[in-house]
Amino acid sequence: MGRSSRGEESVAAYESRTAAVRRPRAEPFFPGCGLSAGPGTFLLPPPLPGGEVLSRNSPPAAGSAQLSPAADVGRPASVGLWGRVAMAVDITLLFRASVKTVKTRNKVLGVAVGGGVDGSRDELFRRSPRPKGDFSSRAREVISHIGKLKDFLLEHRKDYINAYSHIMSEYGRMTDTERDQIDQDAQIFMRTCSEAIQQLRAEAHKEIHSQQVKEHRTAVLDFIEDYLKRVCKLYSEQRAIRVKRVVDKKRLAFVGGMKEIEAQYLKDINDLSWNQNQVQRQENVHLLRKFQRPLPKTQKRSLPPRSIQKKLWLKRDLNSELWETAEVKTSYPQRKYRWQIEGKVVEISRLQEIFTEKVLQQEAEIDSIHQLVVGATENIKEGNEDIREAIKNNAGFRVWILFFLVMCSFSLLFLDWYDS
Amino acid sequence: MVGGKMAATASIRERQTVALKRMLNFNVPHVKNSTGEPVWKVLIYDRFGQDIISPLLSVKELRDMGITLHLLLHSDRDPIPDVPAVYFVMPSEENIDRMCQDLRNQLYESYYLNFISAISRSKLEDIANAALAASAVTQVAKVFDQYLNFITLEDDMFVLCNQNKELVSYRAINRPDITDTEMETVMDTIVDSLFCFFVTLGAVPIIRCSKGTAAEMVAVKLDKKLRENLRDARNSLFTGDTLGAGQFSFQRPLLVLVDRNIDLATPLHHTWTYQALVHDVLDFHLNRVNLEESSGVENCPAGARPKRKNKKSYDLTPVDKFWRKHKGSPFPEVAESVQQELEDYRAQEDEVKRLKSIMGLEGEDEGAISMLSDNTAKLTSAVSSLPELLEKKRLIDLHTNVATAVLEHIKARKLDVYFEYEEKIMSKTTLDKSLLDIISDPDAGTPEDKMRLFLIYYISTQQAPSEADLEQYKKALTDAGCNLNPLQYIKQWNLLSRVMNTGSQFVMEGVKNLVLKQQNLPVTRILDNLMEMKSNPETDDYRYFDPKMLRGNDSSIPRNKNPFQEAIVFVVGGGNYIEYQNLVDYIKGKQGKHILYGCSELFNATQFMRQLSQLGQK
Repeated sequence: MGRSSRGEESVAAYESRTAAVRRPRAEPFFPGCGLSAGPGTFLLPPPLPGGEVLSRNSPPAAGSAQLSPAADVGRPASVGLWGRVAMAVDITLLFRASVKTVKTRNKVLGVAVGGGVDGSRDELFRRSPRPKGDFSSRAREVISHIGKLKDFLLEHRKDYINAYSHIMSEYGRMTDTERDQIDQDAQIFMRTCSEAIQQLRAEAHKEIHSQQVKEHRTAVLDFIEDYLKRVCKLYSEQRAIRVKRVVDKKRLAFVGGMKEIEAQYLKDINDLSWNQNQVQRQENVHLLRKFQRPLPKTQKRSLPPRSIQKKLWLKRDLNSELWETAEVKTSYPQRKYRWQIEGKVVEISRLQEIFTEKVLQQEAEIDSIHQLVVGATENIKEGNEDIREAIKNNAGFRVWILFFLVMCSFSLLFLDWYDS
Repeated sequence: MVGGKMAATASIRERQTVALKRMLNFNVPHVKNSTGEPVWKVLIYDRFGQDIISPLLSVKELRDMGITLHLLLHSDRDPIPDVPAVYFVMPSEENIDRMCQDLRNQLYESYYLNFISAISRSKLEDIANAALAASAVTQVAKVFDQYLNFITLEDDMFVLCNQNKELVSYRAINRPDITDTEMETVMDTIVDSLFCFFVTLGAVPIIRCSKGTAAEMVAVKLDKKLRENLRDARNSLFTGDTLGAGQFSFQRPLLVLVDRNIDLATPLHHTWTYQALVHDVLDFHLNRVNLEESSGVENCPAGARPKRKNKKSYDLTPVDKFWRKHKGSPFPEVAESVQQELEDYRAQEDEVKRLKSIMGLEGEDEGAISMLSDNTAKLTSAVSSLPELLEKKRLIDLHTNVATAVLEHIKARKLDVYFEYEEKIMSKTTLDKSLLDIISDPDAGTPEDKMRLFLIYYISTQQAPSEADLEQYKKALTDAGCNLNPLQYIKQWNLLSRVMNTGSQFVMEGVKNLVLKQQNLPVTRILDNLMEMKSNPETDDYRYFDPKMLRGNDSSIPRNKNPFQEAIVFVVGGGNYIEYQNLVDYIKGKQGKHILYGCSELFNATQFMRQLSQLGQK
């Protein structure tokens, strides 16, 4: 009792203490859920400031487009890098130098290449914000959203997992309701992300004719899906840990609770100890009865009344002991089964997860098989039609031949008759 | 100390894989991260690049590196405007042209150019010119010389090239009508690849080679090239030597350059170990074996329909544990192990099935409730072990198929008889059956097998058989349907090198040879002499090059008297799995020593016979 009230108090204090710190952190993340009202709408948010998302995925050097070859020369050559592994040699600088050489040579020769030497700088500036493909920028957006989810999960991971936080430390605690909130939000967010991917997948192949581009996009979407899966795994892992902790806690609470019940019982017995009837009223456990029955008999027969009281003391001790064992014997197996079942449910849910994954995988395959089968059926139907037509044609042809032969024979007969 | 040495001698396969991964990761060291954000790019390679990558990285690994598409440079490629492209190509004329064309056509968002071997300045300027013309200079994000111009097949085995292997073949080197410039090109190609190999290995070797052979030419050129590179301290590719792994490499590796002409018998030899057999009788190429299976033989009535052949190809990679363990084992042992593995697999499968029946029982039996507790756990473990089990099944199937195919060849051609007989010839034990009997036996082997046997006999005997005997053999061989061209060549060759050859064969005399492992092949013996600094008439006159020495070009006196810990055997003019296996077996017995085997070309006996026959025609 005392403990739980202390817990409540501390949670309340925690709420007030950390609200200021935690909320602003969580807030920018949660709007994602607001967006999820219309599935996929968050795919088109206002452009992110500073193109931060875009540079996230673009390779290190390409992202920061070098403004001029000269700017790059100042960069320290990565001697350390290849010096350590002693393999590939970076000749980018040499390439830039060659560009310069070619440029000066062209100038000397008076050849204007690529918009002229003077125009080349403007050219570079003009070119650098190349029109990004719609697809890739959207894909990167989805990735950045998943990245946010990941960051969020990782940020709160420690608090989330730590089920005993309110006992162990004063800082960074989290209540169960908050955990539930995270669960809920994360789930919604994951669903939105996967919906977004689905949508992107549906739109990826529109107005694209090149097979290679299609393949490329499919692969990119696979990557994103895989990324989402990895982040989801992060989440399900920490959720599994949480569930396990809760189960453990319950188990612990039961052990503690049993002690409490025993204490209560002992107290009761103490209160009623002087009245044998009342003691006997407690004998709802038949194990007790079995022991008690022979006892009064022996008392009546052999023991003097003075010693009855003493015996009762002894008996009460005996009773309580028996009661204890009986309690454990009857309820412990039940509890044990309950834990086992709880554990099993967790495992079954894991199995279920695997099966779901497999089923989903097979769904696509079955779909494609279905398509094939439908196609095959169509083909067979067409084939049958063709065959039927061919048969018909054949029959027609036969009729004509027969007709021709009959005509021939008739004409022969006619000629024969005419001749004679 | 040992650990340090191990680190310093990370297998060449690992090193090349790391280099490739770094290249695919835009030349930034690759780190494994489970929750990293996905990056995508396309990989453009030419045939050379393909050959280098394919034995090392599977398509799945490429996918994991973020490669969405991998395309040949000279194929039709559609523009994909929003993706970075990683090029991995040879700096050849036509490749450069094609790359310039790509730049002009604005195929990709940015370009990471990687050249398999060093690109010349003028070619680099060609690209620069094209980039300027297409105003795509900023899109060329990085340009790298990768120095990866060799193909690693095993942890300790490499081949120079696969695409233009005719250029560096045994035939090309030993052609009588070869011009000096042609020879120069051949040598340059070999030396360039070897140089790349040592750059990747990160060590400067001490070179030994026999006098007056093609190997000597390679040695001289390689020594020159290494020397030039070391002299230019600032741009030296080996400066890392003193920084990183170099602390441990006081011990420099020994490079033994061997000429194929030293031992012509081994490549013709029939073999008995798994990997070498697969290479000998099946189509085994860059760690991939292609099998032709006739299906439906049992089902269809005889002669009703022609047998349908379907091709299957399997990758035999070091990931495959069975292959790793048994590639060097004698074939009967392999067959036994396949059986063993199959039984293991069956047992595991039965266990899973039994689990199913237990689960079925449970509903009826109330008393089984206590068993229920482990059942879910068992089920979970069974489900999670299923993929592993399936993979195991796939491997067993693979090896069953391969072994069956090999066995068919062995039975049809009586390869066991050949193997045993040749072993006896090579170790000069008394023959219990005359050579003529085997040659004229119509059931034993193909004409090629017979020719191989005879050539081995001809090469290995101390004194050439008399003219009359030779005529008799020739007649028998012609009757068996053999092409005598290879013999022509071997005859010429024999006149030149008989002295040397008998010298080397001398050591082998009296070695009991039924157990393959106890017999060292000539290449292994040479290596043993040089590595352990043993004095032997065979190897005493070998030339000695140390590229790190500033002067003293022409000395053939080894300065270093200590035995070597690491050695690289390189066969100029083609190697085979038999020698490789022999070296591996040899080094197994030596603690803390490592050997790498390389060759200019990897051929099996059939390919070698073809080359010999071409040489004989001229």
